[in-house]
Amino acid sequence: MNLRFDIMIPELFLFGWAIVVLTADLFFIKEKKNALLYMSQFGFLAAAALVIFTPTGPNEVGFGYMFYNDTFASFFKIVILLAGFMAVSSSFEAVQKSIEHKGEFFGLVIMSAVGMMFLVSSTELVSLYVALELSTIPLFILTAFQKRYLKSSEAGLKYLILGALSSALLLYGMSFMYGMTGTTVLLAGSITMLLNSANVHYGLVLSLVLVVAGLGFKLALVPFHMWAPDVYEGAPTPITSYLSVASKAAGLAALTRIVYGFYTVGTAAEYWGILIAILAALAMIIGNFAALLQSNIKRMLAYSSIAQAGYILVGFVAASQLGLSGISIYIFAYLFANMGAFAIVVAVDHKLNSDRIEDYAGMARRSPLIAVCMTIFLLSLAGIPPTAGFIAKYKVFMAAIENGTLFWLVMIAVATTVVSIFYYARVIKEMFITEREVESSESKWILSSPITIAILVGLIGTLIIGIYPEPFLELASTVTQSFVY
Amino acid sequence: MQVELIHFLCLAAILFGIGLYGVLTRRNAIGILMCVELMFNAVNINFISFAKFITPDKIIGQVFAVFVIVIAAAEATVGLAIVILIYRNFKDVFIDKMNIMKW
Amino acid sequence: MFNLLWLVPAIPYFSFVILAVFGKRMPRSLSGLLGVGSVGISAVISVLIGIQFMSSPPAGDFFMQKLWTWMGVGNFQPEIAFHLDALSLLMMLVVTVVGFLIHLYSWEFMEDDEGFSRFFAYMNLFVGSMLTLVLANNLVLLYLGWEGVGLCSYLLIGFWYKDSENGAAARKAFIVTRVGDTAMAIGLFLLFWNLGTLDIQEILNSASMQWETGSGLALAVGLLLLGGAVGKSAQLPLQVWLPDAMAGPSPVSALIHAATMVTAGVYLIARTHVIFDLAPIAQTVVAIVGAATLLIAGFSALKQHDIKRVLAYSTISQIGYMFLALGVGAYSAAMFHFMTHAFFKALLFLGAGALIMCLHHEHNMFKMGGMRKQLPLTFWTFLIGSGALAAVPLITAGFYSKDLILWRAWTSDSGSPILWLAGIVGAFITAVYTFRMVFVTFFGKAKMQANHRPGARISLPLVVLAVLALIGGFVEMPHTLGHFAPFSKFMHSVLPEVHGAHLSISIELLFQIIAVVITLTGILTAYIFYYRKPELAENMAKSGFGSALGRFFYSGWGFDWFYYKFIVGPFVWIARVNKKDIIDFIYTIMAMICQIFNFVFRQTQNGRIRFYAAGIAFGAVIIVAIVMFT
Repeated sequence: MNLRFDIMIPELFLFGWAIVVLTADLFFIKEKKNALLYMSQFGFLAAAALVIFTPTGPNEVGFGYMFYNDTFASFFKIVILLAGFMAVSSSFEAVQKSIEHKGEFFGLVIMSAVGMMFLVSSTELVSLYVALELSTIPLFILTAFQKRYLKSSEAGLKYLILGALSSALLLYGMSFMYGMTGTTVLLAGSITMLLNSANVHYGLVLSLVLVVAGLGFKLALVPFHMWAPDVYEGAPTPITSYLSVASKAAGLAALTRIVYGFYTVGTAAEYWGILIAILAALAMIIGNFAALLQSNIKRMLAYSSIAQAGYILVGFVAASQLGLSGISIYIFAYLFANMGAFAIVVAVDHKLNSDRIEDYAGMARRSPLIAVCMTIFLLSLAGIPPTAGFIAKYKVFMAAIENGTLFWLVMIAVATTVVSIFYYARVIKEMFITEREVESSESKWILSSPITIAILVGLIGTLIIGIYPEPFLELASTVTQSFVY
Repeated sequence: MQVELIHFLCLAAILFGIGLYGVLTRRNAIGILMCVELMFNAVNINFISFAKFITPDKIIGQVFAVFVIVIAAAEATVGLAIVILIYRNFKDVFIDKMNIMKW
Repeated sequence: MFNLLWLVPAIPYFSFVILAVFGKRMPRSLSGLLGVGSVGISAVISVLIGIQFMSSPPAGDFFMQKLWTWMGVGNFQPEIAFHLDALSLLMMLVVTVVGFLIHLYSWEFMEDDEGFSRFFAYMNLFVGSMLTLVLANNLVLLYLGWEGVGLCSYLLIGFWYKDSENGAAARKAFIVTRVGDTAMAIGLFLLFWNLGTLDIQEILNSASMQWETGSGLALAVGLLLLGGAVGKSAQLPLQVWLPDAMAGPSPVSALIHAATMVTAGVYLIARTHVIFDLAPIAQTVVAIVGAATLLIAGFSALKQHDIKRVLAYSTISQIGYMFLALGVGAYSAAMFHFMTHAFFKALLFLGAGALIMCLHHEHNMFKMGGMRKQLPLTFWTFLIGSGALAAVPLITAGFYSKDLILWRAWTSDSGSPILWLAGIVGAFITAVYTFRMVFVTFFGKAKMQANHRPGARISLPLVVLAVLALIGGFVEMPHTLGHFAPFSKFMHSVLPEVHGAHLSISIELLFQIIAVVITLTGILTAYIFYYRKPELAENMAKSGFGSALGRFFYSGWGFDWFYYKFIVGPFVWIARVNKKDIIDFIYTIMAMICQIFNFVFRQTQNGRIRFYAAGIAFGAVIIVAIVMFT
């Protein structure tokens, strides 16, 4: 056994920090609980710094094959930590308004991030499962955190029951995977070899499909997506944003670890490729069309995030280095745009007490900067230059086209992108064009500094990747070069 | 008759199926949670029988089962807490009533 | 020093962002300092770069600074990269130096305007875009700058948007230039599609190698590019927007609608001269457009009474000269005239702006009169500018540049006596309308009282530009004056020499004497008609034919009427007839299909947990089935 605690320093630190935040809650009087938010912000940033300046080299394996620290994992850890940072930052108003147990709130967010960090690093089924549950169980609680709010508890119940069901499916699949190969280690490649043999065992196919179903739940892939709109709508908005980005990124990393090797090589490629392609097409079609006429912005963004997962899968299907780097850049672009948009949703919710798209009317007049920022985020989600979303979509589509056989998928992707512009533009239209009588009593909006930071981080990220993408593209391609399978 | 691996797998599959059926048909939230537990147990049978028959010299299957039990317990704890919360808010645990959010 | 090139456009952009975001909260002095200072720093850097470029030219006489590649798809590699050669250096220097002077002027001119920081934000954005346009090393960046300056032009024409007429003028400018922009965009696509690269230098090289002279492709591209140039530079038949564009503040007219943006078309043709060399027909069209425009606009200028409209028509006419020069292959002559024109036309607009400001926003020059005594500084600088515009011999810059164009118009291989004749008639009219303006405004009896005199920030740019309008021509002396020609020598690293017969100095002298006589006659005519015996002009205007002709000229040869009657009118008619929008019907059907999809998919989201669980379970089963049975 290689007990390499040194390669998991960021995770251990963040775990300890979660305990610290939970404990610190006891020592702050009610008025000073904001300190917990700043502590959590610090925790995320410090952990991100530890990931970047990790004392150990890349591609280190520890604990058998349970923990694997390659740049792929580090990249996703950064994404998760940034998402956590922005979610915590944007929760300032929400926490003051409707969250009672602040210590637990922040502690659980951090704990869930720890789980996700372990998840992206695990290359073995046991650790993968435990990490997955460590990341999900806190999210069940966080979703139902607004105790007196019916929607919140309903969302919590839905998330819990469906989450448990999907992890049962995942586990059942894992048990067969273990049974067929006699090992739980993914790195060894025995599963890949089995799949490449001439006659693929039905048990193995079953197991893989079940694993895809379990992780597809996390990614909100059609047809495992139905929890997403309800949960996103009911959960406290910062948690929604966290769910939509961090949880998705972690699930994607795990899916990549398990499935990617299977269809990049040999005969399996054909039908695994087509399967994932169908899932991607379904996600794009259903996500985008269902988002069209939503009146609640959180629900609309939920459907949009289902569609975004579809676009990510397009890069996944491409089954190439280019596709993987496209996914990485896509996740990065999605992180900034989605977290930024949700931060603004939090701000608007705080000021107007509403998530309805109609209530965004006249935003340009009331608070032009917020309206402009929101516009940039939505344009990025729609994939319009010069924002990050354009570069990301372009990379992903390009990878799929170069694959050669996926032209139909790209056509669907492009067509549904056009559909998506409608519902993003609708919000922009409300903000800029629809007239709204502004009561004179309404004073200027002054946002708290944490939420401003969240919006600014999102804005800067979105624009920089959109205008100066070179370093990020390079980063994305180095990330995937180290991806071993 | 010798009890082989396939018998264990069939038992697990039947158990899993019963659990799944329960999840889909029960209307009581607690009942659904129980059925999910049933599915976890089916998984455990799978793991342990695979460990016994496929890799008799390693105990990884049993270890996995232990982890599953622990996590299932954690999940059940959170689940019951949320069900209590639901009961407080809706005065009911029949899940078909919980569809404020739809479309 | 060259490595600082990127700062030249970057600083105004940066300042634009700051002003756009924080402008409202900033004190005016800070906005002004930022807006003027940013362009000032750019100007200093450009001048330093220019000095280095001239003293120790880089290898190959150009410098390329590649910042990064935006994104790459096969041949489509739009880089953020700047190409500095003699041509773009000249443009850059004019844009930043003249731009700086105009910014400085605006600081005082716009001082009391409520949109002060907005104004500087737009102006800085304009300078940044214009620099992007001239420094761009590829088509994408060029187009970005091209559209950027168009946008700024729109924003600044409609700067005082509360008056709906200004908004209409802005829209007119935007829509009319859009016609040209579309043509140009198609031309650029053709270039990229045919030559497979975005890099302008590579395009020019491979075009000259791959295309035959006179080939249809070269002709098509040439004409399409000309279309863009014609729109942006307000040449026939798209010149109608520029007179209306005078609705913007005077510094805007000076910077955008006289000195820099409207000459972007000249720059474009000079930059892509290789293509025009390959398409002699297109080149001839350029010359004809130029000649026709300079006459039409010149005659229109004769009858205007809004001082800024006179200047606007004269700008159109002067750019006509540049096109004429481009059309006969005298590229460096065109750029020379561009430079001198930037000096004296900016000067004239700024002078007119100062007048207007001091005279309670009165634009009608017939209501001014006798301003010579009241505003001496404005008068003297304005006189210098007018002299340069009318090409008063020897002492003004305009003389040297216009003379060169006239000389080339005949003697160049592609020149002809007719083009020369158009030019010489144009020179006469120029002298007449210019000095008509001077006499009417500054001489005679004062009809108004100036409420104050311009301050230092207005005077300084006027003086500096006046000096430039005088000495700016000495960089290119004709053969008769010793042929001291560093300007064209400098330009020849980029632009080819004129091909033409070598004629003796005496013939050139003859040409010059004709031009001088014509100019002086023009001034004399103006003197007689508008100062000595104004009743002569009035009588002429009263006669039936005279008044009809006057109205015709006043309306700018009825182009607006024509376009309204035959383009706008029918278009509005079609729009009215098609109110229900038959074409839109197709899209409505598509929208309805989307709605149906939306309805169907939303039904699956019925809020019931058990249904969702079934979705997960049966989804998994179906996927297993698909995978196993395919």
